Amino acid sequence: MSIATMPGTEPTVVLTQPSRQGWWRRFRRRPPAVIGLAGVVIVVLVAVFAPFLAHYSPVVSQFGHVLEGPFSPGHILGTDELGRDELSRLIYGSQATLEVGVLATLLAMAVAIPIGIAAGYYRGAMDMIAMRITDVVLAFPFLLIAVGLAAIFGPSLQNVIVALGIAQLPGSVRIARAEAMALREQDFVQAAIVTGVKDRVILFRHLFPNMLSPLLVQASVSIPAAILGSALLSYLGLGVQPPTPSWGNMLASAQTYLYNDPWIAIFPGVAIFLTTLSFNLLGDGLRDLFDPSMR
Amino acid sequence: MADLLAIQDLEVRLFDRTGVVLAVRDVSLKIGEGEVVALVGESGCGKSVTALAVLRLLPTDAQIAGTVNFAGRDLLKLPLKELRAIRGRDIAMVFQEPMTSLNPSFTIGNQIGEVLRLHKGLRGKQARDRAAELLSLVRIGAPEQRLRSFPHQLSGGMRQRAMIAMALACDPKLLILDEPTTALDVTTQAQILDIVRDLQKRLGMSILLITHDLGVVADLADRVAVMYAGNKVEDAEVHRIFAAPRHPYTAGLLRALPSRGRRAGDAQQRLTEIPGLVPVLREPLHACAFAPRCSRSTDQCVKESPELSPCETDHAVACFHPEPLAAAGAAR
Repeated sequence: MSIATMPGTEPTVVLTQPSRQGWWRRFRRRPPAVIGLAGVVIVVLVAVFAPFLAHYSPVVSQFGHVLEGPFSPGHILGTDELGRDELSRLIYGSQATLEVGVLATLLAMAVAIPIGIAAGYYRGAMDMIAMRITDVVLAFPFLLIAVGLAAIFGPSLQNVIVALGIAQLPGSVRIARAEAMALREQDFVQAAIVTGVKDRVILFRHLFPNMLSPLLVQASVSIPAAILGSALLSYLGLGVQPPTPSWGNMLASAQTYLYNDPWIAIFPGVAIFLTTLSFNLLGDGLRDLFDPSMR
Repeated sequence: MADLLAIQDLEVRLFDRTGVVLAVRDVSLKIGEGEVVALVGESGCGKSVTALAVLRLLPTDAQIAGTVNFAGRDLLKLPLKELRAIRGRDIAMVFQEPMTSLNPSFTIGNQIGEVLRLHKGLRGKQARDRAAELLSLVRIGAPEQRLRSFPHQLSGGMRQRAMIAMALACDPKLLILDEPTTALDVTTQAQILDIVRDLQKRLGMSILLITHDLGVVADLADRVAVMYAGNKVEDAEVHRIFAAPRHPYTAGLLRALPSRGRRAGDAQQRLTEIPGLVPVLREPLHACAFAPRCSRSTDQCVKESPELSPCETDHAVACFHPEPLAAAGAAR
C-alpha cells in the first residue's frame, strides 16, 4: 500500500494503512488469481445460461449425424455416438458437474470445520471419538459408500453429492483439527481467555479466521477432486444418469470410441481440466487475500 | 494495606510425558491494593505457573490445591461463568511475547473493542473513542489510525503497548505482567517500564510482576518474592532484597548481576555464577532444594526442608543458614 494514502502521520513511523475497499485492487495484482476467477465465472455463467447458449438439445439423439468430427456443418465440436451435439452437451454438462463439485465440498466443510475445531481445541474424549470416526471414514473406500448409497436410495445427483461429501470429510476435519491444535497454544488465544470471553468466541473468532488459508486451499483442491470423483461414479453408472449430461459421464461413454473418434473424450476432459485449474488458481489467490500480512 | 490477592498454600502438579512435576510447592503470597509485587526466579522455578494458576489458565489435567483469594472470593473454586466476569475486568494479564499475543486476523481497535463490549457494554463510536483513549494512555501516536492497524503492521514495542492498553481497558484491580519486557530490546523495555510505572501510580492498580530480570524488579516493584524449584524462598521489601538478601540463592542472583563501577579482570569484583541448574522435582523433597548448589549447605540442609520464617520485620526467608547481614550487605 502506498505511503501517499496516509497523510498526517509522524514522519519517523512509516506504517502502511489497511484499506477497506482494497480487496479488488489487491486481488487484481495477482494475474493467476484473476485468470482463475475468470475461468470460474465463465463456467458458472455457462451453467446458468445453458438453455440460451446451446443450439441443440443435449438429450435428443440424431441418428443421421452420429460421430461427426469437429467443425462439421452445424456441429462445431462434432457429435457423439448418438448424434447429440457435443458443444450443447458440454454446456449442459457444466450444470451437474459444478453442482456436484461445489455442493459436495460445501457439505464436507460445513460438517468438518466445527467438528475439527472442537476436537482440536478441547482434545480429550471428544477428540478421540471424532478422530476414530474420521479414521473409519478414511479407511472405508468411498466407492463402497457411493455404491451403498446408490443401492439403498437409487443412483441420483443428491446421493453422488452426499457420497463425495463424505469422502472429502476426513481431510477437512484433520486440517481444521491440526490448525486448532496449533492455534490454541498461541498466546493470543490465552490472552483472549484472560479477557473473559466465552468458548464460542474463542472457537469462531480466534481460531476459525486464522485457519481460513489452509481451509481455502483444501476447498480449492476438494472441488476439482469432487468433479473427478463424480466422473468416476458416472463411469461406473452410479453418478448422473443418462441421458442427462455431465462431463464425467460424457468421458465415460467416450472411452469406447477413443481410438477412432478421440474428440468426444478430449472435449469433456479439457473442460474438467480447465475448470479444475481455475478453481485451484482462484483458491491460491483467495488464500493470499485472506492472509492479513499480505495486505 | 488491605490484601487484594492472597494466595494461600498453593500446590500445583503438572503432568508431562514422563510423569508428574511438582511445579509449585506450598506457596503463599499476598498482594495489597496498589502494591507492586515481583515474583522472581530462574526459568522453571514455578513463577509463571503461579500466575497462571491465579487465572486458572493451567492445562485441565493439572492438580491444584490451596486457595487463591481475590477480593473475598476463592478463584480456584469459582464457577467458570463468574470467573469469566472477573477475567479481563478485575484481573488482566499481559504476556511475554508481543508478536503472538494479538489475533493476526483482526485490527487493534477490533480487539480492544471486544473487551470493552464484553465487560463495559460499549459499542460503536463510544468503544472506538475509549480504545483510542487507551492507546494514547500507553503513548501510541496517532491512536485513531493505529486502531485500524493489524498486529503485523506494528513493531514489538507497539504491540506490547497495545496489549497493555487492552489489559487496562476495564480498569483492572490487578494486572499480571508475565515477563512483559523480555522479548523487547533495551530501549523499548525502558519505555514500557516507564509507561507501566506511570500508569500504576495514576490508576492505583496492584501489579503482579513475573520476571527474571532484577533490573526490572528494582525499577517497578514494592516487594519481591524469590522462588526456587516451586518454593518461595525469600520475601521482602524491594530495598531489603537488594541491600541485605538473606537467602544464599538471592544473594547468588545479585552477585551474578553486573553493576556500575566493576571492572573486567578485577578478581575481587568478578561476576559469580551459581553452579548447576534448577532441579525439576518429581516427588516431594525432604531437603532444601537449593542445597546441592549452595556453598553454605550443611548436613541439616539435605535432611530437612527449611520453613519460610520471618527473620526481621517484613522479611521472611526459608534457610537454615541465611547469609549474615553484614556479609550480605557487602555482596552488593
